[in-house]
Order: sequence, then C-alpha cells, then structure tokens
Amino acid sequence: MPEQPVPRTGASGVIHDLGYRPYDGPRNGSGTIASALFLSGFRNAFGLGRSGKSKVLPFLLLALNLLPAVIIVGAMTLFNANELPLGYARYASATQILVSIFVAAQAPVLFSRDLRHGSIALYLARPLSSAAYAVARWAALLAATLVFLLVPIVALYVGAVLAELDFSEQTEEAAKAALLAVLLALMLTGISGLIASVSVRRGFAVVATIAVLLLGNGVVTAVQGISDEQGELRVGEVAGLFSPYSLYRGGTSALTDELFLTPPTGAVMTAAYFAVMVLVGIAGLAGIVLRYRRIAGR
Amino acid sequence: MNSTIIRLSTQALLGRRRGLVLALIPAVVIALAVVIRALTEPGTGYEIVDAIGFTLALPLVALLASSAVLGPEIDDGSIVYLIAKPVPRRSVVLSKYVVAWLATLALGALPLLLAGLVLDSSEPSQAVAWALGGAVAGTTYTALFLALAALTRHAVVIGLLFVLLWEGLLGGLLSGIRWLAIGAWGQEIAASVSDAVTAPGTGLLYAVLAATVLTVGSVWFAGDRLRSFTLRGDE
Repeated sequence: MPEQPVPRTGASGVIHDLGYRPYDGPRNGSGTIASALFLSGFRNAFGLGRSGKSKVLPFLLLALNLLPAVIIVGAMTLFNANELPLGYARYASATQILVSIFVAAQAPVLFSRDLRHGSIALYLARPLSSAAYAVARWAALLAATLVFLLVPIVALYVGAVLAELDFSEQTEEAAKAALLAVLLALMLTGISGLIASVSVRRGFAVVATIAVLLLGNGVVTAVQGISDEQGELRVGEVAGLFSPYSLYRGGTSALTDELFLTPPTGAVMTAAYFAVMVLVGIAGLAGIVLRYRRIAGR
Repeated sequence: MNSTIIRLSTQALLGRRRGLVLALIPAVVIALAVVIRALTEPGTGYEIVDAIGFTLALPLVALLASSAVLGPEIDDGSIVYLIAKPVPRRSVVLSKYVVAWLATLALGALPLLLAGLVLDSSEPSQAVAWALGGAVAGTTYTALFLALAALTRHAVVIGLLFVLLWEGLLGGLLSGIRWLAIGAWGQEIAASVSDAVTAPGTGLLYAVLAATVLTVGSVWFAGDRLRSFTLRGDE
C-alpha cells in the first residue's frame, strides 16, 4: 500500500468534547500518597496484604521474639521473684539475632522489590517526589522495626505491673528501654534500608545486612573483650562506636544499671555514643534519599 | 560436570559487588587477627578464630556462595534456559556446587588457617585443625544451602535461621543440638586434629558420617529438585 501523505491541517485541529463527565471530586496531594505508601509499606513488612507465605516469616520471628518475654513473666510469677530476671533494655541485646534477621529479611520487601520489578517508575510518575517515596518507605520499616522491638518490652511491662512490682520503677525502666529501642530501630532501619535499596537481589541484601550487623558486632565484641582483659578500657569504648549493637549496649549501660563490657565512661564518651547512634540513623536515611534521587534522575 | 556452567557460575559468584562482599567477610576476620596480634601478646584473643571465623564468617560465606550460584537464576526464571539444554540436571547442580564449594574453602576455611597462624604462629596445629574443621563444615553448609536454594525462594533466610538461631542461640542453650549442628561436626573434626580445640562430644565417626551423608544427600536433593523443576511467579 502506497504511503498516504499525512495532510498538514495546521491550526484547524480541535479536541472534540464528547460530553464525558470529568472528575471534579477532591484531589488528594502528595501527603495522602505518602501516608498511603507508609501504611501499605508497614503492612507489607509483616506480610499483611501479601500472600500467605509472606506472612509466615515475620510472624514466626515476632513470635520467637515474644517467646522469651512470656517465659520470663511466667518464671517470675512461678518463683515469686520481686524483679524481672532480664531487664527491659537488655532484652533487645539478648535477642539481637532475631532482630537482625527481621530487619535484614523485611528491608528488601520494602526497598528491593519495586526496584527489581521496575514498578518504581510507576511510583515516581505520580506527583510524589523521590525523596517523599524514600522517606515513606523508611518510615514504614522504622515503624515495623519499632513494633518488633517494643512488643516484648510491653509484654514484660504488663507482666511486671500485673505481678505488682514497684510501678514507678518499672515504668521508668520500660520508658528508658523504649527510648533505646527507638535509637536502635533508627540505626537498623538506616543500615538495612540503605543496603536493600542499593542491592536489588534479595538474598544478597539479606546476607550483606547480617554481615554488617552481626559480623560487625562480633568484631567489636572481640575487641572489647580483649581490651577489657588487657586493662585498656578506652580502646574498647572507642571500638564500641563502630557497631549498632555495641552502641546500643553502651547506651543501655549509660541509662540503666545493666552491666556490659567496657561501658562508656565520662560525659564526653557517653554523649558520643548517643550522638553516633542518631548520626548513623540520619546518615542511613540520607543515603536512602540520595539513592532514590539518583534512580529518579535516570 | 560441565565447564561452561562452571565458568558462568564463577562469573555469577565473583562478578560485580557480590564478589566484593564475599571477599570482605574473610578480609574482616584476617584484619582483626592482624590488629590483635600487632597490639597484644601472641595467643591473645585466639577465640576469634572460633567465635567469628568459624561460627559466623564461614556459614555466611557458604550461604552467600551457594545462594549466588543458584538463587538469582531461579529468582528471575532464567534457570529454564539452562535446564532446557541437553545437560543432565544433576551435572548442572554438581557444577554449581563445585564452584560454591571451592569459594567456601578459599574464602571461608582458608582464612581460619591464616587468622590462626597470625594470632599464634608457635602452634600451627591448632590453626590447621580449625581450617580442616572449617573445610568439612563449609563443604556441608554449602551443600545444605544449595539444596535450600533449589527448594525455596526464602533459602537465605532459612539458612540464616538454621545457622544463627538453631546452631548459635539454641545450640548454646540446649547441648543436644550438637547432634544436628553442622558447626559442631566441624568442631569435632578440628578437635581430633588438635587438643587445643574442645570437642562438642558427638564422636569423630558420627561427625564424619553425618557430614558426608548430609552433603551427598543435599546435592542429590538439589539435583532432584531441578529435575522436577516447576516455574513459579514472584509473590
């Protein structure tokens, strides 16, 4: 078929109004999109709104994380103890393996899937900026990690209060543990989210996160143990600044009377521990935002 | 075994960032050993070979290596192009296993020898013991994780739960877990080489037999999973 030359009609073209009814309802801004994204992200982190198989792992981990708290409360009432055998703030240290696996496994759910399947392009085509997308995802993971950390603390607290331990003391200790949990969640979210947004392969991101969190903690703990043996406490204190869990332990021994190896001594060192905890969290968030800005710029 | 599959798997294993992280894990262990040795007396902090190198770095390397040779291909479905070729499925799995196994030996077990020698060069038998135990445990870990990768998409998380929760946390509390823990079998073999290593107490024969059975069984199982492979969508 010979090609027909397209007639150039110039300005004579019109857009016909076929009489369809346009949308004239309220239009929600990017704030609503971001909060919807946050909510779905938070639900997805626990497998809600996803397939049944995806719910198994987060709830299994949550149950395993809650189990020691239930046992502790049970043992406490059984033996009529007048204090909790395991302090609120020490709990997250004792279950750090479960916490690490939870963030390492669930961060890729929020950060890697959209990148791997290319659905990130659909999100960024909306009026939502890449930074808002990143912050919404980050906040979802932060909230999920916080829930994971706070559920056993709440269980211990309820058990302690019902067993009529000293109310004001228990409340104070639980509040301190909650504050420390927020700081720990900030660090874990920043680190795992950044790794998951850089690495698209799920398995790779999981192992890399575990390596950073647990191998880092192992190295720092070894250095702290040796410096304690050698009497060079300052070395151990400085080494403690380099791993989220050792920072958490340092913060715990600063706020409560829990004992850990080479706790930070002096106001400057203690302040440094808390400053580094907040800085790691902020750096993680900034890294995620920058990463998504680069993706959006492509 | 098939040399093309071995070459492709090696590329998948060492290419780009994955190879970097894989090399970074043993590098951290050796660097820690060097720092400790430089600042303290010989023999101080020898526990890190066990506590960090053997129980943490070695399984992580094995997990990363065995999931890297099989996981991504199953994840994105490109495994069908490989198993559509007239190569026996078992030899596909065996080729992939050999690559992951060599990587685990080189980056998981060999660093134990190096770290041990750095920390205390006067007693090389202990370092050799840990390296030998690490080689046996690494062989078994790699086979088990390869079977997991062929079985499920969540192989990495299940592998981590096995290593950290079952062997690590529960193994420390319930001593009976030594009968079902790869790390304990490796340590048993290390203990038979050097007296400086405490034996978990399963007996050498049981440790060797259990490691062999699990290795052969896992590789066979992975081949069997690939033989009856069904495509699944991402959830």
